[in-house]
Amino acid sequence: MRPSDKHIIPPKWLLRLFIKKKYLEEIEGDMEERFQDNLERYSIRKARRLYAWDTLKLFRPLLMKNIGKDYQLNQYGMLKHNLVLALRNFKRYKTSFLINVIGLSTGLACTLLIYLWVNDELSVDKFHEKDIRLYQVMQNLQYGNGIETQDLTPAPLAKALLEEIPEVEYAVAVNDFFSLGSREGIFSYEDNRIEASGWFAGNDYFNVFSYDLIKGDRDHVLTDKSNVVISERLAKKIFGSTEGAIGETLEWNHSSFSNLFQVSGIFKNLPHHSTAQFDFLMSIEVLLDNDHWAKAWTGNYAETYLILREGTNVPAFNKKIANFLKSKDARLDDEFFNLFVQQYSRKYLYGQYQNGIPVGGRASNVKLFSIIAVFILLIACTNFVNLSTAQASRKMKEIGVKKAMGAKRKVLMTRFLIESILVVFISLLVAFLLVVLLLPVFNDITGKHIQPSFDFNHMLASCCIFILAVFISGAYPAFYLSGFSPITVLKGKFKTSTGGLWLRKSLVVFQFTLSIIFIVGLLIINQQIEFAQTKNMGYNRDNIIKFQWKGTLYNPWNGLRDGKSNIKFDAFMQALKEVRGVVNTTNMSGNILDKIVKQSDVSWRDQDSDRYFLFQSPVVGYDYLKTLGIELVAGRTFSKEHNDDYSKVILNAAAVKHMELENPIGRIIKMNGGSEIIGVVKDFHYGSLHNTIEPLIFRLEPHGRNILARIETGAEKATIKRIKELYMEFLLGYVFDFSFLDDDYQALYASEQRVAILSRYFAAVAIVISCLGLFGLAAFTTERRVKEIGIRKILGSGVFGIVRLLSSDFSKMVLIAIIIALPLSYITASRWLDSFAYRIDLQWWYFIGAGSLALLIACFTVGMQTIKAAKTNPVDCLRNE
Amino acid sequence: MKKNRLGEFQELILMTVIVLQEEAYGVEIQRDLEARLNERLSVGAIQTALKRMEEKGFLTSEWGESTQKRGGKRKRIYQATPYAHRVLREMKDIRAQLWKAMPELGISKT
Repeated sequence: MRPSDKHIIPPKWLLRLFIKKKYLEEIEGDMEERFQDNLERYSIRKARRLYAWDTLKLFRPLLMKNIGKDYQLNQYGMLKHNLVLALRNFKRYKTSFLINVIGLSTGLACTLLIYLWVNDELSVDKFHEKDIRLYQVMQNLQYGNGIETQDLTPAPLAKALLEEIPEVEYAVAVNDFFSLGSREGIFSYEDNRIEASGWFAGNDYFNVFSYDLIKGDRDHVLTDKSNVVISERLAKKIFGSTEGAIGETLEWNHSSFSNLFQVSGIFKNLPHHSTAQFDFLMSIEVLLDNDHWAKAWTGNYAETYLILREGTNVPAFNKKIANFLKSKDARLDDEFFNLFVQQYSRKYLYGQYQNGIPVGGRASNVKLFSIIAVFILLIACTNFVNLSTAQASRKMKEIGVKKAMGAKRKVLMTRFLIESILVVFISLLVAFLLVVLLLPVFNDITGKHIQPSFDFNHMLASCCIFILAVFISGAYPAFYLSGFSPITVLKGKFKTSTGGLWLRKSLVVFQFTLSIIFIVGLLIINQQIEFAQTKNMGYNRDNIIKFQWKGTLYNPWNGLRDGKSNIKFDAFMQALKEVRGVVNTTNMSGNILDKIVKQSDVSWRDQDSDRYFLFQSPVVGYDYLKTLGIELVAGRTFSKEHNDDYSKVILNAAAVKHMELENPIGRIIKMNGGSEIIGVVKDFHYGSLHNTIEPLIFRLEPHGRNILARIETGAEKATIKRIKELYMEFLLGYVFDFSFLDDDYQALYASEQRVAILSRYFAAVAIVISCLGLFGLAAFTTERRVKEIGIRKILGSGVFGIVRLLSSDFSKMVLIAIIIALPLSYITASRWLDSFAYRIDLQWWYFIGAGSLALLIACFTVGMQTIKAAKTNPVDCLRNE
Repeated sequence: MKKNRLGEFQELILMTVIVLQEEAYGVEIQRDLEARLNERLSVGAIQTALKRMEEKGFLTSEWGESTQKRGGKRKRIYQATPYAHRVLREMKDIRAQLWKAMPELGISKT
């Protein structure tokens, strides 16, 4: 043995910790000899590793100490005994068993569903192989009224970053056809005409994003301008199968460009948890060829995605690219245009920016629901704790006898823990069943595609929830019940300790506090949504249908001035007016509800500072104000008779106020080389109520492709059918997609609606579970006081007196819960409402209503029991003693 | 016999104990078997088998000498009981009978 070997001998305390004493010397010796052997043969590290491995393998029941004691207990026998006792208890006290299982399983099912949802939300866009290095370039634009953060960047940016910045491994520019007006086009192959919508993307798209290619080489599918990569679904629609599609030529017809394309690849249908959804990809070069503005550094035409090299310091990288644009075009002042990167997979949950600062996004909903899940689980477990401690008297004798026979506290704790494990386990099985049954409905409400599956993560989560539930519901009762003193218990003088009573009461208070908060939340969310739906927005969105002209359309910037004309479109608009049932028609570019076109560089006092203010600026056609019913305060609307064109604008009152104009009509403001104000409209709510009404300028452009038509009430279906026929006549092969403006408006509140519907269910579950607990407690108390009730009745107490006696305790608890819940719910509700610019005021009756509702439900639950007890004939309960 | 049946691994160890005679202690058994089987065994596996067989009455054991290599710990020398010898022989006979009864598949048909 080398003298230096002494210190490399592994520590032996571990062996001493768990090996049986009588084997210790031998095994220690063996292990050491073995270690020395290995030391001669291998390196120190390997010998140590082998030693550790051998130590691990010594964990065998035969060689290990019995934890705690050195004698052997018949564990199996005890386990069997405990299981039998638990099962007998369930059989004997069916009501409490059922209450426990129903309460716990609904609670667990809710928790599991929320877990599935949260898990799904968190997995969105996370599946890309290079996820941690996949970034999107964002742009901060500094305006007079704040910083506007957008995900659009100049199209040449990707290429320039790849060439000039060494940290960039791959870079692609992506355009989702937004700049082309219409997203859909038609692929024709032989006689097959299929509508599809796709994106333009840079060469390395499939190297940046891990969508699977079934056919084609991910490095080259988009190299050629004439290439198109199509989805499996589209391939099946066009060719019937994915076989033999490669190399085929498709004819593409779109309002902006038509050409022949060759299929160079087929990708697997995009997964549901990808936010990117497209039927096909074309090379970004196609866009640059067809729209010469897209090549410029001054236009924002593409989203730019980067794969950064491993080990890139992102803050340093951000600093590096912040002023990148200025180096390309001196007009892109670095005070005004700033670039930074954001991890792509964070966009879904944390993609909202306010004044340049990230303000979260969907993540807040995820947090909210996670909290709700935990609370529901708590409420459900609370029931179990309450019932099992309340029913301690039933187990009194058992505990007493066992303790007198020498059972240690630990043994009794195991006994009660096994009972709770069993209940939770049964509930979990029921909960699984419930989840599988409810999942379709749940998917419907949340708009998800969650499948019940037994993958490792879900199992792990279920295990965690199981252990958590067992711990919350089982630990206290086991501790509490096993602590009884055998003498008092066997004497029969058992009286619930005040400690247990206090805990039980506070648990009921806790349950009801949460329930009331849920009810208040529910009321307020619904009131706010109701408010949003019925509030007079300043325009009339009833019976307006919206659809898009998917055919070719020229405007003054792409050919109208060069002699081209929109004969077909104009004819369609004319024909549309004459369709029976159509009251009014108009058209616009872009949208009026969401993502309205914005405009800066407007000046009205010849002051340079004006230019940086960002106006909302929808581009609309004739008859727009009339069709939407927007009220004109002064001046006139756009009209054909006056030969109005792009040089005329209409302001809203907020814009007039912002510009501080005394007599706005006839004033010329500097915008697109001088525009005359011809009218002023009353302020109206253009988006959702989340936003305030901002200064807005209507511009005129009669060739917008979004058509709005107000139709007569009563005959909507027939009218729409006639419009559809007309549309198909003009645009062969295109699909007539339409929506009601009102539905689009409702969709702005989709996330709130979802929360509203879910909170309705969760509130119901919380209340039902709480009531189950209360019911169990009430049933038990009345059962225990049955003699007292009998004697009281004999001495002349009336039914009412007894009901009051029995329920006053419970009412007190609920009242305390109300007192605690109201301020809490007030705070939560006002914080939620703060996200709306226009909101309901918190009325006192929301809170009083929720409180009284909780009280009423509680009284009803307890009342059923107490009235029954109070009405029993005293003879029945006093006879047998 | 049924209750005290030997496992395959236990049988190997038992035979090694008999072969090694006075040298039959944990690590030596392990070394010998590892060489014969040509695979790594763990101390835990050997020890469990030894203890199990001692419980069943196949083995007896007593303390032996201590060496410096063992950090001054004594060896535990194992010895097979007559009962173990009998069981081993019985198993060998059963095997022999079975071998005899087996039709010579595979070998004759090649």
